[in-house]
Amino acid sequence: MKKDDIFLPKILTFLCNWCSYAGADLAGTSRLQYPASILPVRVMCSSRVDPLLILRAFLNGFDGVLVTGCHLGDCHYQEGNYYTRRRFVMLKKVFDSLGLESDRLRLSWVSAAEGQKYAKVATEFTQKIRELGENSSKNKIFL
Amino acid sequence: MNKSAETSEKKGAVLPIKTSIQDSIKDLLKNGIDHCVFDAVMIPLRVPAGDSFSYVLIKNKSLLNDAFPLPPTMSVQGAKAVSSVTRLGNRNMKIAAVMRPCEIRATIELTKLDQTDLENIILISMDCPGTMPILDMVNEPEKTMTLFNDATKSWDDTQMRPVCQICDKSSMVAGDLHIGTLGTDKKSFFIIPNSTKGKDILEKLKLPLTDSIDSWNKKVKENSEKKLKKRQEVHSDLKNKIGDLTNLLDIFSQCINCHNCMRVCPICSCRLCYFDSNKVKHSSEEYLQRAKDKGSIRILPDTTLFHMGRMMHMSLSCVSCGSCEDACPMSIPVAQIFSMVADETQRLFDYVAGRCLEEPLPLRTYKEDELHEVEDVHG
Amino acid sequence: MANALKITKNTEESVREFLKILLEKRKVKGVFTLKKIGKNGAVTYSLITKSDELNDAVPFYPLMPTNAGKLLSRITRNGSTTEPVAVIVKPCELRAFIELVKREQGHFENLYIISSTCGGVYPLKTATDGTIEKNLSDYWDAVKKGEINQDLRPACTACTEFTPYGADITVDLIGNTELEKKCFLLLNTKKGEELVQDMKGELVDRDFDKEKLKKFYAKREKAKNQFFNENTKINGLDDLIKIFGRCIGCHGCSKVCPICYCTLCMFDSSNLEYKPSKYESEVRQRGGLKIPPGTIYYHLGRLTHVGISCVGCGSCEDVCPVNIPLTLIFKKVGESMQQIFEYIPGKNITEKIPLVTYNEEEYTEIEG
Repeated sequence: MKKDDIFLPKILTFLCNWCSYAGADLAGTSRLQYPASILPVRVMCSSRVDPLLILRAFLNGFDGVLVTGCHLGDCHYQEGNYYTRRRFVMLKKVFDSLGLESDRLRLSWVSAAEGQKYAKVATEFTQKIRELGENSSKNKIFL
Repeated sequence: MNKSAETSEKKGAVLPIKTSIQDSIKDLLKNGIDHCVFDAVMIPLRVPAGDSFSYVLIKNKSLLNDAFPLPPTMSVQGAKAVSSVTRLGNRNMKIAAVMRPCEIRATIELTKLDQTDLENIILISMDCPGTMPILDMVNEPEKTMTLFNDATKSWDDTQMRPVCQICDKSSMVAGDLHIGTLGTDKKSFFIIPNSTKGKDILEKLKLPLTDSIDSWNKKVKENSEKKLKKRQEVHSDLKNKIGDLTNLLDIFSQCINCHNCMRVCPICSCRLCYFDSNKVKHSSEEYLQRAKDKGSIRILPDTTLFHMGRMMHMSLSCVSCGSCEDACPMSIPVAQIFSMVADETQRLFDYVAGRCLEEPLPLRTYKEDELHEVEDVHG
Repeated sequence: MANALKITKNTEESVREFLKILLEKRKVKGVFTLKKIGKNGAVTYSLITKSDELNDAVPFYPLMPTNAGKLLSRITRNGSTTEPVAVIVKPCELRAFIELVKREQGHFENLYIISSTCGGVYPLKTATDGTIEKNLSDYWDAVKKGEINQDLRPACTACTEFTPYGADITVDLIGNTELEKKCFLLLNTKKGEELVQDMKGELVDRDFDKEKLKKFYAKREKAKNQFFNENTKINGLDDLIKIFGRCIGCHGCSKVCPICYCTLCMFDSSNLEYKPSKYESEVRQRGGLKIPPGTIYYHLGRLTHVGISCVGCGSCEDVCPVNIPLTLIFKKVGESMQQIFEYIPGKNITEKIPLVTYNEEEYTEIEG
């Protein structure tokens, strides 16, 4: 297979301003290699990510959605990421109950010091999405 | 678009029907895309489950093969669809919208209400035999398709929605192009331009105009006179049946305030209806006080106020499309009542909703010397 | 200790009389209940202040024109009623109201809540075509025997929460074989006990026929499993498109949903209006696009918004002009969401909605 033929997924990534964004930045400045599939969106806190945004990204054809935030207990707003977790669990359940691919959604805690972890998560998730293939919602007409 | 559609020099092009009228219309649309007359087509497609139709904005010509220019049911009123695409403007995509005459008329009303931008829209209508109830298609899709198919040939409206059975404007030409199937020899159909836009298109597609559409004119006139007579009869029966406030309240007594009628109405375009706003939500004291005044009030109160308020708001633009009745879970004959009221209010101003884009909305214009009969004449 | 009021009369008649006396003795200033109005005998919720008007009240009529939880919220959203009002609601309506109170959309104070064990309600269309009246005697026979009625709302057939939570008074209906002769008002709270003081009837010691209710529960549970399993074909986007493809976008389901209380739904707001450029890019990408777009997004979005509090009342399905099986989806997915948090919506007013609370140690497996 030629290199060009490898499917490069589009992954929408929400990065929390205080930890994960800095983590992603560190990955960049440390020149760590990770796939170009990530489309970053900076948010003040992972808990600002309304499940509907994730849903919308999924229906609009993004192949994966990654939500990242501070480690539990480290949230800049004390407890935001605990709510994020509950919402994420709930959204995954909705996806599973309807037979939608919940594997296209991922939640990760990445601190400002974890450039390595960020690169690893991005690489692994991209690999996972490659296995899943394109999101079929991309070509649907009756959405 | 010409106000006096009846009297103007109606000319049209005559096109042969190859396999079926629906296919010929699709060929015409494909031709339009090929000749860059328009970039996209908005037309009903049967949904994957086969139990309904939905407007689809199509760029990919092959999708047109599955289109139904005239589907048996109306799921979303076309005017709402056009408004959804063009409300915020439309500069880069020329769209041919294929709809029923009442949908075109609603589109024109919505344009007057600044809810659509028709600059890049080509409105194409066709002779409409009526629309079947939306649930028929959900319950028995194939049977409904067959029945409708037969009805298009025989022009028999017994299976159609009640409000379609009394529609005298089923061939009203209000858009840019109209496809005439009445009064033809069944081997051909007419394309009637109704605007410079429409004429340009026919020129670009090299479809010459002929004078031979008298048969269509005649048939349409005959048909609409027959329907108008029936309409007046039905309306006058209904008027007698309602007669007073008690009966009116009775008719709306089953209403559950779902506001489906308002939500599907093409004219009701407010983002937040007054009757859904906080203005109609009162304090507990108010509800209790009202109950004390009367001994008992229904909760929610003001059901009839909602319907009559809606009438005030939209009846001058009501095109009697029947969407409201289709959407009513309580089988209230909303469309029949509204069409009756609309006919009367529109008659006051010699106005026909959606007849012509240039005609201003009656409440946005006035004459100094008019309507003196409603004035108080002391001394 | 006496914990019930026994009235030796037909149950509905007894309750009607009980309510009349409440009004006459000025124990309450208003009664909120189902009532027949007009020539057609349409049944709607009413707020009644004159005891005569109660003659047409039908407190246990098997119909839910609107979920009463929504209506009670309408009355009390800006503050509790200034005077006491007795309300007669069905268990799921009460649960919906409790969920709304948790969302600061209603107030409990000054309401005397009377509910009952519930045999379910019929679809709205039976009220318009008159079949409901013909079904009534069969309905009450089945309730007495503790059987599931035929032709109920699908949501009701599959409802296992037929006993009210948090009512001041519960009227014993299911399995009460003497419905025509005896009425039992079970007193659950101090408020309930206060209300029956000096009322006609006899204070007795009585509880539900627990055995019968247990059996009824088993029947309903079986019906629910059957309902959920028979329709488990929702597997992925294509199935959702098949189910929701015929949606006409009236949003009636959200309008009647007791939990959907937003004045302007997000899905009706300008946030979701596509700009011309968006239409162009979407049509280019997909070749074609349903107009108006966003049907699946609307339904799934609503599901994530309200699923956690869905009481499974079935109003959404009943109001749908194109019969989309919304109950199945909302009840099934809703319950699966609720199970994660072991939450029963409307069960307990003091229990927080799961999404506004958390435990530090939970669901650790989700992160990766």
